[in-house]
Order: sequence, then C-alpha cells, then structure tokens
Amino acid sequence: MSSKNDIIKNLNPHYSWTLKLADIKTVEAVKFDNPVAEFLEISRFVGGDAVLLNEGEDVNALIKTLYPDAVRIASNLPEITIASFNPDETDDPHNLNDVELAIVKGELGVAENGCVWIPQNVRQKALYFISENLVIILDKNKIVNNMHEAYERVAGNDYGFGVFISGPSKTADIEQALVIGAHGAKSVRVIIN
Amino acid sequence: MSTKHAKAAKRFIRNREQEQWHNETLWLVRQKRDNMAMRIPEWEELREQANRIKAHTVAELACYLEQFSSAAENNGAIVHWAKDAQEHNEIVYDILKQHQVKKLIKSKSMLTEECLLNPYLIDKGIEVVESDLGERILQLMGEHPSHIVMPAIHKKREEVGKLFEEKMDSEKDNSDPTYLTHIARKYLRKEFLTADAAMTGANFGIAQTGEVVVCTNEGNADMGTSLCKLHIVSMGIEKVIPDLKSLSVFTRLLARSATGQPSTTYTSHYRKPIEGGEMHIVIVDNGRSKIQHNFNYERILYCIRCGACMNTCPVYRRSGGYSYTYFIPGPIGINLGMLKSPKKYSDNLSACSLCYSCNNVCPVKVNLADQIYRWRQRLNLFHKASTTKKLMSKGMKFIFGHPALYGAVLKIAPIINHLPRFLVYNKLNAWGHGRELPRFAGKSFNSMWKKGKQLTINN
Repeated sequence: MSSKNDIIKNLNPHYSWTLKLADIKTVEAVKFDNPVAEFLEISRFVGGDAVLLNEGEDVNALIKTLYPDAVRIASNLPEITIASFNPDETDDPHNLNDVELAIVKGELGVAENGCVWIPQNVRQKALYFISENLVIILDKNKIVNNMHEAYERVAGNDYGFGVFISGPSKTADIEQALVIGAHGAKSVRVIIN
Repeated sequence: MSTKHAKAAKRFIRNREQEQWHNETLWLVRQKRDNMAMRIPEWEELREQANRIKAHTVAELACYLEQFSSAAENNGAIVHWAKDAQEHNEIVYDILKQHQVKKLIKSKSMLTEECLLNPYLIDKGIEVVESDLGERILQLMGEHPSHIVMPAIHKKREEVGKLFEEKMDSEKDNSDPTYLTHIARKYLRKEFLTADAAMTGANFGIAQTGEVVVCTNEGNADMGTSLCKLHIVSMGIEKVIPDLKSLSVFTRLLARSATGQPSTTYTSHYRKPIEGGEMHIVIVDNGRSKIQHNFNYERILYCIRCGACMNTCPVYRRSGGYSYTYFIPGPIGINLGMLKSPKKYSDNLSACSLCYSCNNVCPVKVNLADQIYRWRQRLNLFHKASTTKKLMSKGMKFIFGHPALYGAVLKIAPIINHLPRFLVYNKLNAWGHGRELPRFAGKSFNSMWKKGKQLTINN
C-alpha cells in the first residue's frame, strides 16, 4: 500500500485556517405550503408524472388504466395483484430484460425536484432501470420539501444500494434535443396514496 | 504571436453557422441554469455553504480519505490507491484480468479520459464500450469529448445519423434525435446484457459511509452496474466529501448548474457490492495532492465538474472544446491544464477575456478567472510570454518614463489616422486583426487640459 502512503503523506492538513464542519452555516432552505402539490407539478416538469390515489380507489385498477397493454408486469409488493410475476424469484437480472412494467415502493419523495428515494427493496436492482416503464408507490406523508430534509431521513439507514429517481431516463446528447428513454425506464409514474 | 487556442478557434469560427449554433445552444443551457437558480431564494447562500464545505474537506483531505476508505472496506468494497494514471490503468487491468473480463461497459468518467484508460485496455485486448450516448457517438467516431457534461455538443444530428447508418443499421437519412436515441438504446441494451464488468466514475465519495454517488440522466451507470457482478469505480481524491448532510448541498447545486434541471434523473448510491459480486474503488491522485497545499490554486480541487463555467464562457461558446489543448476545455480546463504542465498547456491562457462570468456561476465558487489572471502574470517564468508583447511593453515603459518623448509621440499620433492601411493593419499589430481601430483624437487630453480656460463644454 505504498501508493496510499505516498498520497496521504502529500496531503498536508491546513490546520492554520481550517474551518470546522460544524461551524459552517447551514442554509435555511425553501419550504412549500403544500409539498404534495409541488411534488405533483415538478414530477411533470421532469418528464414523469405523479397521480394521487383517491380514497377508495384501487391501485391495481389505476395502474391498469395507465398501462392497459402491459403483460409482463413485475412486482414483489403483496398489494399489487396485477403483477404477472415476482421478480425476487429471478436469480439472474438479465432475465428481467423483457419486463414491460415494474411496480416498486418508494420511501421518500422530494417536493423541490421530484426525486423519489428507493433503498434497494427488490432482489435485483436492475429492475428499477431495465423495465420499460416504472411505477413507484409513495406514501403522501413521506414527501419532504428539499434534499436537506431528504438526506436527514436517509442518513443512518442501512442500505447496500439506494437511488433517487426523478422522472424517466433521458438524454440530450444529440444537438441538445431532449429525448425520453435513453437506457432506463421510458416512463416513470409516481402513485401517491 | 497567436496561441494554439487562437489558431484553432480561427478554424472553428470559419463555419459561421456552426459557431452561432454552438454559442446559442450553450447560452440556452446557461439561461436554464439561471431559471433554476432564481427559483431558489437561498441559492447564493447555498453556493457559499458548498464552498465552505469544500474548503474544509480539501484542508483535511488526508483524514477524510482514510475515513472513506475504511468505511468502504467495512461495506465490503475493495479499495485501491493509484498515484498516477499508469498505476490506475494497471490496477483496473489487473482486476479485469483476474475476472477474465472480455467486455467492459463504462459510464462517463472524465478521470478515465485523463488516464487514457480506454486505449490502454483496448491494447490489452479488452473490448471497451462507452454507454453514455454522447460518449458512445464519439467513441465510434474515434474522437474525444469537447465538453465535460455534453461530450458531443459539437456534433450535428446529420453526422450522428450517418454514423448510425453505418454502425447500427439505422434508416438512411433519418437524423431525428428521438429516432437515433432509440436506435442507440436498442444497440446498447445488447452491450449491457453481454458485458462482463461495469465501470463508473464518481461524482461524490461519502467519507462517513464509504459509499460512492453517481449522477446520470440516462441510467447507463445503473444498467451496467446492476447487470454485471463486477463494478469498478474510478475516483479522484478530491471527490470525497464528509457526509450525507454535505451531499444534500451538492445534489441541489449540481444538476441545476450543469443542465438547468432540478436534479439528475438518477442519483445512485453504491455502498455494497451486488449480491455475489465485487465492488472495487480506485482512488486516484495523478497530481491532485500537489495542488492541495498550493494556496494560489487549491480551490481548483473544489470543482464538482458541472460544466457551468464552459456554458457561460464567451470564449468557449464561440471557439468550441477542441480549440483548447488540454482534454478539459473552458475556464476549468485552462486552469487544470496549467496545473498539469504550465509549459505544455499555456496556450489556453489566451482563451479568456477576464469577464469573470465563470466565477459568478460556479456552484462552489472556484475563483477560476483570478487563477487565469495569476497564471498570466507568471507566464514569463515559464518562458511563455509573447516576445512581441514583451517588446511592446518595453517600448511603452520607455515612452511613459520620458514625459517629453511621450508628449512628442502623442502629438504625432494622429498621423496614424492617415497612414496607408498596410502600415497599420499588419502582422505586428494584433489589435488590428478582425477589427477596426479607433481613430486618434486630433488633440490630446493633455494639450486640451493645458488650454483649459479657453475650452467650453461645446468644443
């Protein structure tokens, strides 16, 4: 590990003017009167969509109307009865390549940017990305204002992998023309219940 | 006395239409950034906080690197240290060889560009596939990025259409970006499914938790790393930040500054290896530690590679990434190049009008323009100051030091107004290139001042 020693040795701490982390002023960040409404709006802005599940409305029926043609539907959530299979029974993530719709659970929504935090809650994390379409179920009480609040809640949790997803996969690499559906899901819908 | 940058820029602007498109498109990205920034009342405070966090982290980098590496090892990752590009490439190759990797799928990493990893691996017989759309286009064309966030910004859709016809059997003469992107999606999906290992860069390394954070819009980093058992991360030492609380500041700034989005589509946190797999993190110095205790320039290590300084730079927008001789262009590239080798990369210093716009948009407040100014003051030390300019300075110093001579020169100066063009507009007069000189006033201010009493406001 001589390279490690060389590198560490080269890095002199600047104690003379070091700022303590705790002394750095934390900003007072933007808050919204109605974070859920803000989340719904920004989700469309980032190319995705978010819908509120009305009281008494069946989530399966709603998904069916959103994706009437989807046949190969993956979900490990017990309440999702329209799933055609449980992806957790798949040993090899490559087998998920033909999934048309994946339905997963989000743990946290962020009103300022439409991000949904998903700590890995399926066996193959490939599911979040390889599926043609992605539906994320999110509890409306778990929508926070901004990333500061989000990371406050994420910190201290144990996860091997976690991802914030904001809208569908996209690119503008050809002449800055925005195209939805680069490598990941072509549509992302958040269902808030 | 033209620098290499000036000469290359001349070639770029020969295509007026392309130059204008490049300029306007990047300005649009800058405006999108402004819209995003203005929606956040605390934006300026956020920049200040980001700057302070980086100042703190860079000052105690050794400590944070130790913390990061032991946390990462506790998570089950394997940490490697590379003092330079060569060692980085060897480490990566060794890992790939051990796992008998034939095909490596990569997401965008400027560090691997810096280390020239791709040619190194290809030379050893490994198939390397770039998966970011812009990077893939350039890889197939045999070119390198001209912008750190929008690598193929200099390419027209027709060129991409032609390329895809040849490489991906796309329809003839179809250059619709949506069509082409979906063709690439289909082709790259096959590559993802057949790759043996995935490689990513790192936007951030979190010291407290040992996790690596990668931000993409396409989802390519995640496609690769969730299908392959082997994940190699290439990370510069300056990417480490203290904790997730600090990360919240940077994730709010990064995408807004880079592309004018409120967030990248994916902000992925890699903490542990995939089930039954391995995660390797290669921590790379390659000259960075030398900068850390150089007080004039250490702020360059705060950079989070958002590219905002390029989008706002009037010189970058109108001269293109390839006009710079360092592989990273724009204000950040000018400075990084100088820190790499002042002798080799000093030509880029001319690509700055000292307008200071880069300082004002930088999300972590790197003093880019001040650093360029400082380097210019030191050009003579590296024997890179222009001899013509030096000669002129000497001449002017002499004239300014002799008041009588100065008065005489001033008196005859208006003659220049009547000289034949070839005497004024020639190689010796850089100020006459591409622009008309102002006319000398018939009477100097000095002579008018002396006659002060007879002057009225009207004459």
